[in-house]
Amino acid sequence: MIIKIKQEWLLLTAFVVLALPPMQQFLEQSMVTHMLVQIPVLAIIGWMLGKKLPENWKSKITLWNRWGITGMVLAVIIMTYWMLPRVLDAAISEWHFELVKFVTVPIMGIALSLSWPLLNPIAQGVLKLEFWATFMRLGWLYLDLPDRLCANYLLSDQRILGQLLLLSGSAWAITWTLRIMFGIRIIKT
Amino acid sequence: MSGTAVASGKVEYTDSENRNALIAVKAHLIAGLSVFLLMMLGGLTMRAAQGTWIEIGVDLFYQIMTVHGVGVVGAAVIASTGVQWHFLRKYVRLSNAIFWTNFFIFLTGVVMILGSIFLGGYGGAWTFLYPLPAISMGAWSTGAAAVFQLGVLIIGVGLLILYLDFGRAILARYGSLARALGLTMLFGKEPVDPAHPKAVVASTMVLIVNFLGIAAGAVVLVMGLINLYNPEFQPDAMLMKNLIYFFGHVIINATIYASVIAVYELLPRYTGRPWKTNKVFLAAWFAIVFMVMGVYPHHLLMDFPMPAWAMIAAQVLSFGSGIPVLVVTGYGALMLVYRSGIKWSTTTKLLFLSMFGWAAGVIPAILDAMVTINRVFHNTLWVPGHFHFYLLLGLLPMIIGFTYYLAGEGDRNEQPKATDSLGFYAYLIGAFMTSMVFLASGANSIPRRWAVHMEEWVTFAQVGTIAAALVVLGTLLFTLRAIFILPGAANPR
Ligand code: HEM
Ligand SMILES: [Cu+2]
Repeated sequence: MIIKIKQEWLLLTAFVVLALPPMQQFLEQSMVTHMLVQIPVLAIIGWMLGKKLPENWKSKITLWNRWGITGMVLAVIIMTYWMLPRVLDAAISEWHFELVKFVTVPIMGIALSLSWPLLNPIAQGVLKLEFWATFMRLGWLYLDLPDRLCANYLLSDQRILGQLLLLSGSAWAITWTLRIMFGIRIIKT
Repeated sequence: MSGTAVASGKVEYTDSENRNALIAVKAHLIAGLSVFLLMMLGGLTMRAAQGTWIEIGVDLFYQIMTVHGVGVVGAAVIASTGVQWHFLRKYVRLSNAIFWTNFFIFLTGVVMILGSIFLGGYGGAWTFLYPLPAISMGAWSTGAAAVFQLGVLIIGVGLLILYLDFGRAILARYGSLARALGLTMLFGKEPVDPAHPKAVVASTMVLIVNFLGIAAGAVVLVMGLINLYNPEFQPDAMLMKNLIYFFGHVIINATIYASVIAVYELLPRYTGRPWKTNKVFLAAWFAIVFMVMGVYPHHLLMDFPMPAWAMIAAQVLSFGSGIPVLVVTGYGALMLVYRSGIKWSTTTKLLFLSMFGWAAGVIPAILDAMVTINRVFHNTLWVPGHFHFYLLLGLLPMIIGFTYYLAGEGDRNEQPKATDSLGFYAYLIGAFMTSMVFLASGANSIPRRWAVHMEEWVTFAQVGTIAAALVVLGTLLFTLRAIFILPGAANPR
């Protein structure tokens, strides 16, 4: 019981730390940390929060979330939205966009954690591959586009992000291959 | 581990599942054969146009060439998937619903592709090589090119769903793909099981390469789409070409490795002898996983910016590609048939023909993959020559042979009728001639993908037209048989 409370407080603290100016401004300074640190951490906080939701809440939500479809649709919509460079820009310059980001991204995490386990394994596979392909496509796009996509970030930032996306996509492909081909698990999920 | 699958035992399904599965396999075969027939009529038209016997507009020629290319590849995929699924489901528990899902997604993609070609006028070939789709100079709209690529993408997603089901089922029974492929036996971690199903080995190989092929396709198709609508985004053309050929080459190549399962499963039936799995067999299939993925740069031998190592690797792999599995399969088939007292039915004749067609078709392919020869033969009709050879004489006989087996030869031991023999010989002679005329044209430096041929080349095209008519006749007889007899045929036990 004590441990449980502690974990939820920890999540809340992490959230507040991310939202407060020092951390918030530090992470948003560069496109890389904005997209590859801040947003994923917010989503992970949501994911862990989703696991901690009281059982009766969960069962009520499940009624609306048959096979996890509703939640996945919500998560995919939020994810796609925050992939638009324009809104990322807006989040930096306008406080209400920033607020929306800090609310919706954790919600996406919650939706994912509630829906992913319910999802048909084949659908999980399709989404995983689609997500992987999005990493590779965006990475390639950021590397090759002649112009900046975000008014707030430098072109060089965009290039680095592109490389990192391609690198992480490749690393992901390798771990996947090892697991399926040889049953080797590098990360336990 | 599913409770129904024991050591090398077979999976149990309910009767209604089996009935539904049989209908699904037949639907795949009938769809595949009908598309083949239509596309061959397209091929006949192209040949006749090149031979000046009929006159069609240049834009129509390229539309036909596009639909022919994409149509036969699609038909090969859907029909070979039917063959593969029919046998694989005996060993691992596959889902009928997923199989049908892929079928209908496939049909959706086909409708989109047909629309893009015949309504939108897209004629940029099935290879949609960047940046051609975007620079039609008015022959087709951006929208048409986009719908074509979206159609291909959708077909890829359907296949992905199917392969995920294959993967899930294979992993449930074998734990890892390496084990399903027999690597644990090959490297001595487990004793060799002579009854290890060849359908599982082949399917695992097909699954691996096609999964990666589709992954590459999913990326490159979307990049092409982005370029269509944002011309300022200009991806590296060489990288695009690599990915497109990796995708296309793997997908069409894998169809033959999926269909050969019919040879493994049916020849033992007809000869009454078991075909044991041994280490040589497993080694060959292990090697082919890499070869199928590594040979595609033989399409890029004339692209000077390609790194030298990739070209050398492609040339070496192309030399060896096909040979391991081909030798293992051809030799195994001969050993099974030799003095077995086999009765020659249309099925066995076709399956045996496929061994010849595959083996012989590889020779011109290997020749063309040599840099010195490619310098001369690149983009000549030699190229269609080699692939028509092993597709017409290797792949299709496997698929049609399997169809005959399902249509009654497998069960009632039906004897071939006169029309079947006529079909067989018309097909055999026509297909052989079609391929040889292409090869001869290539040897005479006639370029491929030219709608209008020069006077000196016209005779070749005319002989090719006659050959094509024979193939069409044979295929028509086969397809009619499939359409009329297949639907009512019972499951061969
Ligand atoms: C009656 C049978 C067939 C005939 C007469 C025929 C004829 C042709 C012709 C004339 C071309 C264009 C050649 C050129 O570049 O000038 C072609 C291309 C092609 N054919 Fe066939 N074909 C037949 C069957 C098949 C089959 C069964 C397959 C595959 C299973 C196939 C696959 C292809 C492919 C992939 C191309 C390349 C298209 C491109 O260059 O974009 N063909 N065929
Ligand atoms: Cu090739």
